[in-house]
Amino acid sequence: MTDEERISYLAGDYAGGPGSLDPADAEELDELRTLLADPAMWEVPGQHLEDTVVATVTSAASRETGDDRSDPVASARRAAGGEIPRRARRRSRRSVVAWAAGAAAAAAIAIAIAIGVTSGTGTPATTFSAALSGTPLAPGATGQATLTQTTAGWNVTLHVSGLPRLDNGRFYQAWLKNAAGILVPIGTFNQSGNVTLWSGVPPTQYPTITVTRQQANGNQASSGQRVLVGHAHSTS
Amino acid sequence: MGDPHVLSRFAAGDEDAVRTIYRTYGRLVFAIAYKVLGDRELAEDATQQAFLQAWRAAASFEPSKELGPWLATIARRAAIDVYRREARHAHSPLEDADPAASGLVSLPPSVDRVYDAWQVRQALSELSPNDADLVRLQHMEGFTHSQIAERLNIPVGTVKSRSFRAHRRLAGLLGHLRGNDPAGSASSQPRIGTGGQR
Repeated sequence: MTDEERISYLAGDYAGGPGSLDPADAEELDELRTLLADPAMWEVPGQHLEDTVVATVTSAASRETGDDRSDPVASARRAAGGEIPRRARRRSRRSVVAWAAGAAAAAAIAIAIAIGVTSGTGTPATTFSAALSGTPLAPGATGQATLTQTTAGWNVTLHVSGLPRLDNGRFYQAWLKNAAGILVPIGTFNQSGNVTLWSGVPPTQYPTITVTRQQANGNQASSGQRVLVGHAHSTS
Repeated sequence: MGDPHVLSRFAAGDEDAVRTIYRTYGRLVFAIAYKVLGDRELAEDATQQAFLQAWRAAASFEPSKELGPWLATIARRAAIDVYRREARHAHSPLEDADPAASGLVSLPPSVDRVYDAWQVRQALSELSPNDADLVRLQHMEGFTHSQIAERLNIPVGTVKSRSFRAHRRLAGLLGHLRGNDPAGSASSQPRIGTGGQR
């Protein structure tokens, strides 16, 4: 079978018919045709996904750097090991074994001192993040949520774009939802922007975040009019 | 991508580098996630996770290797994680999913299959928009040449010649990739493609 015949077969214009093909050729070309018919080859992600990915990675990176700067334990480690960024230090730990001996001893002393001073508050906060996509009710809307565990509960910072302002008793309400479909309200707001919400239930058990349109009419239940939805993942 | 240091800047969480890598590979990562999951929302979720995992693992990436196959593997793994999570809670986040979404009711595709998809998607992205549209109409929509001619309001003969040209270009792109081993291992060789290598 020539290349021209193969291309004709692929293009659906092969005069010889499938039976005249070499079985190996036919199998290979049919496999390619199957892939070309797969929606995954043609579906494109929403335009918001770029910003969501960038925000997720850069916020995780800044948290890692921020932990080092604000965490006294990490500061003590850095003082013992020099001004080596955490990720770079991980690499050198694998390749420069000898470095560990002296520095680790010094770090252990410094960490012990730091833990004593901070009474265990040096543990980095548990955080989750979620990318929220607009539903057919709000196809242009996007959101990015960061959930940080505190002693008071889970602080949820939500950056929303593409939601028009709601007034006159109408508002947006954010919820966390568990696998059984139980909804827990975590706060309300009027329009896109940076919103601070609080949750008394953890994203480990209530991983789905939704935002609905609501009306202040005495009914506390969800209206079911979801405009944003996403799933929280650990970034700690 | 032009900038040889983009990966090290990506590893450092540099916003421009993350954006550059997303713009180069984001659609491909999404395509793999979509192939595994068959659901747009979950695929976007998995894409987000894939880039986060790539950032976490960037320090261990061997710079002499191609970034694409490495990201493809991470994308597949991230999508399978999402798949497993959804399978555990099948009565909740999947409630709105399309029951016909094959990824949700069957085993995830193999690494080879995912890599094939990766390369076909990449080849399609290099076709002109008109050629890509014609190939999409023919294969994904299942249109005959006559139906395409009617839809595009052009003669059937023109559709056939354009289709042949588009598929020849596609075959050439896949043939080129076939002769290449970007991941540096035999197992990463694409198993499909036509033309030029036989």
